[in-house]
Amino acid sequence: MPALARVVAPLAGVIVAVALFAATRGLDDVARGEQLGPGFWPRLVLIGLGLASAAKLVENLRRAAPNDHAVARAGAAGLGGVRRGTLLLAIATIVLYVALTPWLGFPLVTVGFVAAFMMLLAGARSPVAIGAAAVLGTVGLLYVFVKLVYLPLPKGDGAFETMTLALYRGLGIF
Amino acid sequence: MGEILGNLATGFVNAVQPLNFLMIVVGLAIGIIAGALPGITMLNSIVLVLPFTYLMGIVPALLLMIGVYCGGVFGGSITGILFNIPGDPMNVPTTWEGYRMSRQGHTQYALGLAIMSSAFGGLVSALFLAFFAPPFARFALSFSTVEFFSVVVFGLASVSVLGQSSMAAALVSLFSGMFLGTIGTEAQYGVERFAFGIPFLKTGVDFVTVLIGLFAIGEVLDQIVGTSSEPAAETPRARAVPRLPLLALWPLRGPLVRGTAVGIAVGGLAGAGATVSSFVSYGLEKQISRTPELFGTGHAGGLVASESSVNGSTGGAMIHLLTLGIPGSAATAVMMGAFLLHGIQPGPLLFTRQTAEVYTIVAGMILANVVMIGLGFLAALSFAMLMKVPPPILNTFIVVFCFLGAFALRNDLADVWLTMLFGVLGFFMRRYDLPIPPLVMGIILGPMAEQYFLTSMVAHANDVSVFVTRPVSAALLAISVVIVLWPVVKRLRQRSRPASAT
Repeated sequence: MPALARVVAPLAGVIVAVALFAATRGLDDVARGEQLGPGFWPRLVLIGLGLASAAKLVENLRRAAPNDHAVARAGAAGLGGVRRGTLLLAIATIVLYVALTPWLGFPLVTVGFVAAFMMLLAGARSPVAIGAAAVLGTVGLLYVFVKLVYLPLPKGDGAFETMTLALYRGLGIF
Repeated sequence: MGEILGNLATGFVNAVQPLNFLMIVVGLAIGIIAGALPGITMLNSIVLVLPFTYLMGIVPALLLMIGVYCGGVFGGSITGILFNIPGDPMNVPTTWEGYRMSRQGHTQYALGLAIMSSAFGGLVSALFLAFFAPPFARFALSFSTVEFFSVVVFGLASVSVLGQSSMAAALVSLFSGMFLGTIGTEAQYGVERFAFGIPFLKTGVDFVTVLIGLFAIGEVLDQIVGTSSEPAAETPRARAVPRLPLLALWPLRGPLVRGTAVGIAVGGLAGAGATVSSFVSYGLEKQISRTPELFGTGHAGGLVASESSVNGSTGGAMIHLLTLGIPGSAATAVMMGAFLLHGIQPGPLLFTRQTAEVYTIVAGMILANVVMIGLGFLAALSFAMLMKVPPPILNTFIVVFCFLGAFALRNDLADVWLTMLFGVLGFFMRRYDLPIPPLVMGIILGPMAEQYFLTSMVAHANDVSVFVTRPVSAALLAISVVIVLWPVVKRLRQRSRPASAT
């Protein structure tokens, strides 16, 4: 872990704990008589989080002091060796998958996601395998989760909803 | 004793009647499959079969539900071991060890151990139910929320701290999880906490979204970015066929017996359930083990202890229901509904007035755990075939399954967003040596601890000394304190030794 991150991450933990502790103000206004209010337990937890983060900060500082290189070797893997572009692409693909689902509907987005994820990130090369996995996999999932489990998966908006419903009827699951 | 054996024999005769036996098998199959699907919990599946029992007699109806119950608590282990996706929170400790074993090429062994130890735990707990139900129920009734709180604290302390390379990191992770557990509408006063006006946060963060994200999505990301922090499997994925290691269980008899005992004991405490018992059993095993540092790296003892306690808790939970009419868990609460629907009131008189029915149910539990060995093997075999799927396809569909599992919780895309967010968090936690298990423990057990603590305070006029004046609670808390402080003391002693030597 880079030296700066070793300090910033636990320090952020302390700051977040303090800020959230402040946000518990007023929670106990509803408490009856001498009873403990709904703010008691979160405050206890946040004190624990703040103290643990402070302890982690001290631990990191003490470990870093004598020999930075030794610590780097013995410590966490961090992002060393990680293909950062691939990581960002993976996160972006997953985010797009979830973000587009309400508009395009689960079946269409899933076919697209499976094809894109396999091709761009998972290292699949055969177009036949990618196409077959995307289409057959999605149809299989629709049978299990729509037909058998009655899960109301997002159908999409407007024309895409009509398309999804037509697909469901075609598959005999609606 | 003779009377019990006679009643049990009658129960077996009834339970092997074609319809009754069929209900056990069907229930087990439903339970195992539903338990293995993330987002569809064992409780969901029991609720889903309830309407089908309306037209049945009480015995086949309850045998169906018992089959779902026994199969459901085991099913989640299969996907946990194979794909790092625990089907239910109770399967989390099994996943910690089983998935690591699978990655090291011991998939067959891990699946076999899970099946055998589940069946053993369930079988022994069913026998315990048959022979010792009434006296155990009286003992368990002496436990109050004070003891429950201490049991949960013990579970949190033992699993979170032991064997971690950095106690501070473990505690940061634990308290973060406990904080996540406080988000949403508070139960006692109905006050919103930390929702910050975001609608979906008002109902809280469902721990299943956290589980699926941290474990499955985090793992997929870790694998596709190139340098997985996990060791690669040594054996081909195609060889992931389970085997039933009967003899291999002998060296693990200690964890097996202890896990089962913890399962029965904790499961028998009304309100504790299989999740608490699996964590407590795993934590206890970690303390007793001579190699606690190996826990989390694929430790067979940890898997066996957790898995036997999960199914061991089923008999314990049934004790309350049958002898006192108090459901010991959410699953037995649904079963109580089935009793009442058929006009039968569970309670102290049940054993004398409906002896045949009660012992048929007990015999059914015993049979279910025996049949589960075969069905569990078949189910694990079917799921293991998925391991033949090339990793690119498998990783892609794991993401899609996580989507479905998260969405199925509340039919809300917000849960899917949370799952993906925790997936990214899980990736970075792995990379920066922030342990994931304590966070998971915190979000699952934290709300329970809060509930028991506040209820105890209401019942005892805010007198915190009640936690140390009641013997069981005091003992559990004392052990928890020792567990937390022991690594610090050990480190101080290690430091003082070289100093004194010079």
